[in-house]
Amino acid sequence: MRYRWSHVTALMLLAAPLTGQFSGRADVTAGGRYVWHGISRAAGLVAQPSVAAGIQIRKFSLDGGAVLHYELDHVSPGELSESGADGPRLGEVDVWGRASIMLGSARLQSGVVHYTFRGDASAGGLGPARNTTEVYAALTSTSTFNPSLEAWWDVDRVRGAFLRASVDVPIIGWPFPPYVFGFVEGDAGLNLGQGPNPARPLELANFARRGITHVGLGVGAERRASRLPRIGLTTLALGVRSQLDLDDATRINGVGRKRDFLVWLWAGVTVVMGGDMRTLR
Amino acid sequence: MSRLRGVLLGAGSAVAVACAPTRLQVEGRRSPMPQPTTPPVLRAGFARADITPPPGVGLAGNGPEGAESQGYRLRLYARVLVLADGAGNRLALVVADLPLSSALLHRRVAEQTRSVGIGVDRLVIAATHTHAGPGHFFEAAAYNEQGSSVVGFEPVMLDSLTSRIARAVLAAAADLRPARVAWGSRAVWRNTRIRSLPAMLRDVPAPTAPADAPTDLAPEYGLVDPELAMLRVDLRDSVSGAFRPAGAFSIFAMHGTGNANVNDLLDADIHGIVERLLERHIDRDLNRLRDTGFVPRAVFLFANGAEGDVSPAWPPQSRCAVPMLATLPALDGPFTRALWRWRPPPASDLAACRHSAREAVAAVGASVASHAVALFDSLGSALTDRLELGRAFATLSLSDSATALGICSAPAVGMSTVVGAPDAYTRMRGWRLLGLFDIGLKEGSTSRDASGCQAQKRLLVSGLLGHALSKSLPSYAQVMVLRLGNRVIGALPAEVTTTAGRRIRDSMLTAAQEAGLPVTSALILGHANGYVEYVATAEEYAAQYYEGGSTLYGPGEAAMFGRALARLARSITAGDTLPAAAAPPLALVLGHRERLIKRMSLSRAAPPQIDRVWCSGDTLYARFQLGGAWAWPVDSGEVAARARVEVFVSDATRRVVSWDDDPNVEMRLRGRRRGLAWWELRWSGAAGQEYRVRIPYGGAESEPVRCPA
Repeated sequence: MRYRWSHVTALMLLAAPLTGQFSGRADVTAGGRYVWHGISRAAGLVAQPSVAAGIQIRKFSLDGGAVLHYELDHVSPGELSESGADGPRLGEVDVWGRASIMLGSARLQSGVVHYTFRGDASAGGLGPARNTTEVYAALTSTSTFNPSLEAWWDVDRVRGAFLRASVDVPIIGWPFPPYVFGFVEGDAGLNLGQGPNPARPLELANFARRGITHVGLGVGAERRASRLPRIGLTTLALGVRSQLDLDDATRINGVGRKRDFLVWLWAGVTVVMGGDMRTLR
Repeated sequence: MSRLRGVLLGAGSAVAVACAPTRLQVEGRRSPMPQPTTPPVLRAGFARADITPPPGVGLAGNGPEGAESQGYRLRLYARVLVLADGAGNRLALVVADLPLSSALLHRRVAEQTRSVGIGVDRLVIAATHTHAGPGHFFEAAAYNEQGSSVVGFEPVMLDSLTSRIARAVLAAAADLRPARVAWGSRAVWRNTRIRSLPAMLRDVPAPTAPADAPTDLAPEYGLVDPELAMLRVDLRDSVSGAFRPAGAFSIFAMHGTGNANVNDLLDADIHGIVERLLERHIDRDLNRLRDTGFVPRAVFLFANGAEGDVSPAWPPQSRCAVPMLATLPALDGPFTRALWRWRPPPASDLAACRHSAREAVAAVGASVASHAVALFDSLGSALTDRLELGRAFATLSLSDSATALGICSAPAVGMSTVVGAPDAYTRMRGWRLLGLFDIGLKEGSTSRDASGCQAQKRLLVSGLLGHALSKSLPSYAQVMVLRLGNRVIGALPAEVTTTAGRRIRDSMLTAAQEAGLPVTSALILGHANGYVEYVATAEEYAAQYYEGGSTLYGPGEAAMFGRALARLARSITAGDTLPAAAAPPLALVLGHRERLIKRMSLSRAAPPQIDRVWCSGDTLYARFQLGGAWAWPVDSGEVAARARVEVFVSDATRRVVSWDDDPNVEMRLRGRRRGLAWWELRWSGAAGQEYRVRIPYGGAESEPVRCPA
């Protein structure tokens, strides 16, 4: 089996220069909170380095990547933490793969994410019992508001669906290099089957009930930091996110702590290389 | 601790200095007292300089839509005519294939030409306003930093243009020969149109087409100023002693916007075609030169007039769509967000509009050139050896003397400026906040509160930001009135609209006649000796189209320039030197310095090599290595004797059919490696023959390639 995969990989590498374009991306994002699908997984300073690589063949692309979730703060007892440990710790490792196709101004994607939790459950963190896998499909349009609709299906631990709708709206773009963009982003989640399941009472649910889980709104700015001709570009971004929590699971902010409204800051640096990025200004 | 503080302070100061815009004080070198010559006859001299820069510079004039140049099509030249009368008065006219003129460039050139009697007050450097010319040498930070998508002030560009133009002026002055001249003019219809007709129709009295205008013209075509004015110059041949046609100086109002807004090649645009066609006509048809050479011997200076609201007659499909703000799906995974970008229109759309624009450039160029040829020929019977020369020159301190001049004290940009003009709308046109709310980014966007000095102008920014922006805009205007025989010419550092130009001309001519000068006609020479954007009438200003929004110093600007030129027209003199107050030092803010043109010298002169030549349809392609990575096409700035690349028929005649200064040839840089430049030539004129490509300097020659019929 391993032998067969190496053949496939070698064929792809040989065929890629003829038919497709490779690209790579590295991100480091720092923020005041780690929120996933509306659920706060860590409060306090977090850093999330990630890498991704992909190949595009005409309108099709295959991508994959990994992201690490580090908690950088000291965690007091009862505080929301993935690792549950005091001091900087790796709380979660996620790997993902995806196939997508461009259909005019729309992009249709389908992918899979595997979540591995590295925390200490006995200390209030998220341990291996939480590990799971989700598949998803998304339809994104590049019209005025850049709407996106995602359908997530937990196929391992929870076995249920979650929908997320989002918009990305530009506020302003500085037309001269170095380009600066301002944008508003909003999202909302809808739990359809990731709540408690009476048929499987031992299952760890994601949400408390069916319905809208959260509504988020953020404002951000992005600046093209540098461009390396024929290689790629670097961007810097920062912003503020807010979220109205509508499900008991999204309200959790630590042991016995709940919050209906969250605000946090984030900043990130992104390096993208190859593909269209080589000539993008 | 104090040492650390010192280090931090030092580092902070270094950063502040590095980030601060470049400032420069430039002197105004006035002409010395003229020295009479013997015999006291009218003399003239022509020269030209190749000013085509290497690829990588920004194409200025279209703001954010101005591309980074990838090569060149028609080479850019500065053409020079020096006139000298018997009393030793000299005037140097320079018309350069540049997007804008620059007071900084004007003064720097004058420093080098003063030795031959040509200081700032006897030198006119006018730009043809090609939007396919380089930026980075302007007198104001705003134009260096927002003139194109490549931003910054580049001292190498300024120095190189200065030395090339100055050398050409000196060469023309050194080649002064007895001359005969004739003035004439001709109406050119159907090639230009008013691009902001609603603004023009507000003028009082309402504009009307001249009586001799064709009756079938639409209003935007009939209301232009159709005058093509020409000064023909014949020079005495040093061998035969006969006077031969040598060149001409013309003024015609037309924007240099024939190329599509997405053009990415340096190019002389329509003006370049008109110049070359008349020059070839003089060489080939009038002087019967068999070997007309790569560069014509005749020199035609084709300057711009009051073209502020005048477009060439390009078709709508020649204007390309502009980039839109969109997300950039660059490997945005589940945990990372999409980036943002300016998304360009589809490549096929851009190719189509580029092609349409090139067809328009060729058609308008040929049409205007036919009028220029006819006018030149008609002047052959009116030649005279008399041409009275005079000049008046002043430097207006627009901000400091605003009250006395009757204009606003601080320059301001309107919302309609950001939108662009029909020749090249920008990506900001029609943009709405959050996609919903109109914030005035459109033509005719006026202020509700018209009580301030800037009246109807809806300001782009106000308050502290507005104050900061005003510092990046020009605060001086060098104005000049020339007398050339029975014409007075008002040289303005601006783009004057048709009606404003007519009013300024009238006041200038009346003033000159009241002062007793025997002049019969007045002309406006735009884009001369600096750039303060547009000059619209007060009525046009109230409409706040692009020209009104770009009239920096408010609605009184056109009247102010009319008064200034009238005053100068009354004080035209010759045989003297001007007082120092006419040309005080200029304190300029040039913006951030950028190294756009690398300073590289080749350690070894690599011989050129042709890698590949092939045909596809009617286009012949050639890829080759030629010259240094950052070399200018002509290193010295003088004129090349031969082309860099030639295409010739592969038969016994070896007839040259094209070269790298042909409207149908594109020279595109493919890459820079090991200090050398690799190019691709595309010639869209191949037709059923066998061709070869050669590089004359270096002797490289390709194998023959047959192109389909």
